[in-house]
Amino acid sequence: MSEALPCVLFVDDEERILRSLRMLFRGRAEILATTSGREAVELVRKNRVHVVVSDQRMPGMTGVDVLREVAACSPSTMRILLTGYADLDAMTASVNEGEIYRFVEKPWDAQRLLATVEQAARVAMDEFAAAATRVGESAVAAASPASTAEHAAAHVLVLDEEGAIAAQVRELLPAAVAVVHATDLESALEALATQDVAVMIAQLSSADGDVADALKQLKRLRPAMLAIVLSSLRDSRLLLGLINEGQVFRFLLQPPPRELLRRALIAALERHETLRRQTRLQRRHEVEASVRAPATTISARVLGAWRRLREATVARIA
Amino acid sequence: MTVAPPNPELSAIPSAPARANVPVELATLRLATPPVPPDTCVIDVAQLFLDASYAGLLSLPIVTAAGEPVGMISRYELMRVFLQPYGRELYGRRPISVLMDHEPLVLSVDTRIGDAARAIARHIRSPITDDFVLVEDGRYIGTALVLDVLRAVEGRLAERSSELERAYTRLKSSQAQLVQSEKMASLGQMVAGLVHEINTPLGYVRNNVEMTRGVLADAAQLLAAQQGALDALLGGEFVADAQARLDEVELLRTRVDPAALDDIAALLDDTLHGVGQIGDLVLNLKDFSRLDQAGAQKADLNQLVASALKIANHILRKRGVEVVHQAGDMPPVECAPAQINQVLLNLLTNAAQAIEHDRGRIVVATRAVEGRAMVLIQDNGKGISAENQARIFDPFFTTKPVGEGTGMGLAISRQIIEQHGGAIRVTSAIGQGTRFVVVLPLRAPAREAA
Repeated sequence: MSEALPCVLFVDDEERILRSLRMLFRGRAEILATTSGREAVELVRKNRVHVVVSDQRMPGMTGVDVLREVAACSPSTMRILLTGYADLDAMTASVNEGEIYRFVEKPWDAQRLLATVEQAARVAMDEFAAAATRVGESAVAAASPASTAEHAAAHVLVLDEEGAIAAQVRELLPAAVAVVHATDLESALEALATQDVAVMIAQLSSADGDVADALKQLKRLRPAMLAIVLSSLRDSRLLLGLINEGQVFRFLLQPPPRELLRRALIAALERHETLRRQTRLQRRHEVEASVRAPATTISARVLGAWRRLREATVARIA
Repeated sequence: MTVAPPNPELSAIPSAPARANVPVELATLRLATPPVPPDTCVIDVAQLFLDASYAGLLSLPIVTAAGEPVGMISRYELMRVFLQPYGRELYGRRPISVLMDHEPLVLSVDTRIGDAARAIARHIRSPITDDFVLVEDGRYIGTALVLDVLRAVEGRLAERSSELERAYTRLKSSQAQLVQSEKMASLGQMVAGLVHEINTPLGYVRNNVEMTRGVLADAAQLLAAQQGALDALLGGEFVADAQARLDEVELLRTRVDPAALDDIAALLDDTLHGVGQIGDLVLNLKDFSRLDQAGAQKADLNQLVASALKIANHILRKRGVEVVHQAGDMPPVECAPAQINQVLLNLLTNAAQAIEHDRGRIVVATRAVEGRAMVLIQDNGKGISAENQARIFDPFFTTKPVGEGTGMGLAISRQIIEQHGGAIRVTSAIGQGTRFVVVLPLRAPAREAA
C-alpha cells in the first residue's frame, strides 16, 4: 500500500464482536481492540488513533463515557457509537457530551460500516497531519477558544413559533451577537439565504416534519452552521436521523435548563468560529445522504425559499 | 291583658336564607324570634305560644332590655304548669322569670356547626323541649332549632362521605395505574436489555456470514478457474489457452486470502455460538413469561431462579456483578411461575442497582426447610437504613431519583408472595449489603377464583 493505514480502535465487551470487526477491517486499517473502556482511553492516549468505534452498554464504563474522555484527550479522533440498543438518554449524551460522528446500530451493514469508518479515518488523518504542521506556527492562536467578542459578526437564527425561545436566546447572548427570529421554516430559509448564520436553534414539534428534513439538508449546504435542536419528543429514531444525517450539534429536551442552553450556545459559537477559520475541519460534520430528497418532502410553499438558499450558497462558495 | 308586641327592631332582622352547596353556618339557621322581657307575665307568654307564627318554636328566649339572654321558657314547661290543679291561677300573673330555665343553651353565632352540634348533644334532654339562643358579642340576636342543626350536620356528613367515596375511587384507579406503570417500566427495562442482548450476537453473526459469503464466492471462482485450467492442461490441445487460464488462476489466488480461509472456521464457530445464544434468550423469555401456561402449577424454583438470572443478565453484566447461584435440593413448588419470576427479577434488579462499587457480588441460594421453599438473595451493595427498611414494602416508597422508580416494585412483590401464602423479609447493614429472604409453602393455599 502506498498510503499509510488509519488506526481504528474497537471497544466492545463481547470478544466475538471484536474478532468479527478485526476480520472485516483486515488490510484496511491498523486495528486496536479492547473489551475494557478504561483500557480504550489509555490506548487513545498512547497511540495516534484516528477512529474509535465503541459499544454503549459495557460493564464499568459506558460507551458515552469512553467517547467523552476520548474527545477530551484526543479531539482529532473521530468517534462512532456502535450499539445494539441505546435509550434516548444515552443517545442525547453521545451527542451533547461525546460529540459523535455517527451512531451505528447492531446488527450493522458491513459495506456501510466500512465506508463510514473509512470516511471518518480520512478526516482524522488530515486533521492529525495538519495539527502536526501547525505546531511550529501559531499553535496558541489556533488552540485558544474564540472569545465572545469575536462572535460579533455571527448571527444566531432561532426558529420557533411562539418566540419564547428567541427571547431567551436573546437574553443569554452578548448584545454583539445578532439574534434573528423566524416563526416558520419559510422565513428561516429566507434568513439563511440572506444572512451569515453561525448557529441555528430549532424547535422540533414533529418527528417527520419539514423542519427535521430541512436541518438535514442544510448541513450539506452549510457544513459550518451548527444546529441546536430543542424538542420535547423523546423519539430515538428522530435523534438517530439528526445525528447521522444532520450532524446536530446539541439536542436538548424541552424546556432546556437555562445554563445548559447558554453553554450550548457559547460552545456552538466557538465551534463555528473554529470551523470558519479552518474549513478543513468542516468535514468532521459531513453527513450521510438522507434517504429522501428534500424536493419530495419539503412542502411546495417552502421550496422557493429553499431554491434561493441553494443559489445563495453556490454564489458564496464561488 | 295585652301581649307585649314583638320588638320591631328584632323582628326586622331577616333570617338569612340557607344556600345550597355552601357549608351551613350557624348564622344561616338563625330565626329572628322576638325576645320576651323577664317581667312578662306567664299568661301573656302562653298567649304568644298560641300565635300561629310561633308554631314551629319549642321555647321562647327571655332577654333583658340590655339584650342579655337570661333564660328560656318552653311550651313544655308551660303545659306542665297549666296541667297542675290551679296551675293557671297560681302562676298566671307571676313573671315568666319564675318558671324559665335559668341556664338555657346559648351559642355565639360564629360557633362552627360541628361544635354547635357537640354543645347541643351535651346539653340536650329527652324529650327535646327547647330551642337554643344565638348571641353575637354576648347580645341576643335570635334563636335556632336543634333539628335544623342536626339536618345541617347530616347534610355535611353526607357530603363528606361522598367526597371520601370519590377520593377512594380516585385512589384505587391511580393505584391500578401505578401497578400497571410499574409493570410497563420493568417491561421496558427488560425489553431494552433483551434487544441489546440479541443485537450483540446478531451483529457478529450477520457480519461473519457476510464475510464468509464474500470469501466463499472468491474461493468458488478460484476453484472453477483451477478446474478449467486443469481440464485444459489434461486435454493438452489448446496450450495457448491453458496459459491464459493459469494467469487467471494466479490473479484469483491473490484475491483469496488464505488467512481469511483459515479464519472462516473460527468465524463460523462464533456464528453458531451467537445463534445458540439468541435461541437461548428467546427460550428463556418464553419460559419467563410462561405465556403458554396456566396459573398455579408445580415449578422448579431453581429453574425459575436460573431463568430470572438470564433475563437480568444485562443489568448484572453492565455493573460487572459476580453472581453465585447456590441451588439446593428442592421439591417442586406449587406457584404461579410468571409471578414468582417477576418477584425474583425485581429483587435481582434492586440488588444490582444497590451495588455502586466494582467488587459486586450477588448470592442467590435456594433451600427447602420444613415443608417450605426458601430463596435468599444477598448483595454486597450499599445497604438500606433501618428507617428505610421499615418502609421499603410500602407502596410508592422509593429512594431512586424521580422518574426512575415507581416505588411499587417491592410492594407488588410482597403482594404476590403473600397471595402465595408465603412471606418476604429483609435484613440489611449500611455499607455491607442487603439480604432478602422469600419463603413459599410447597403447596399453594386455595385461592378464591378472581
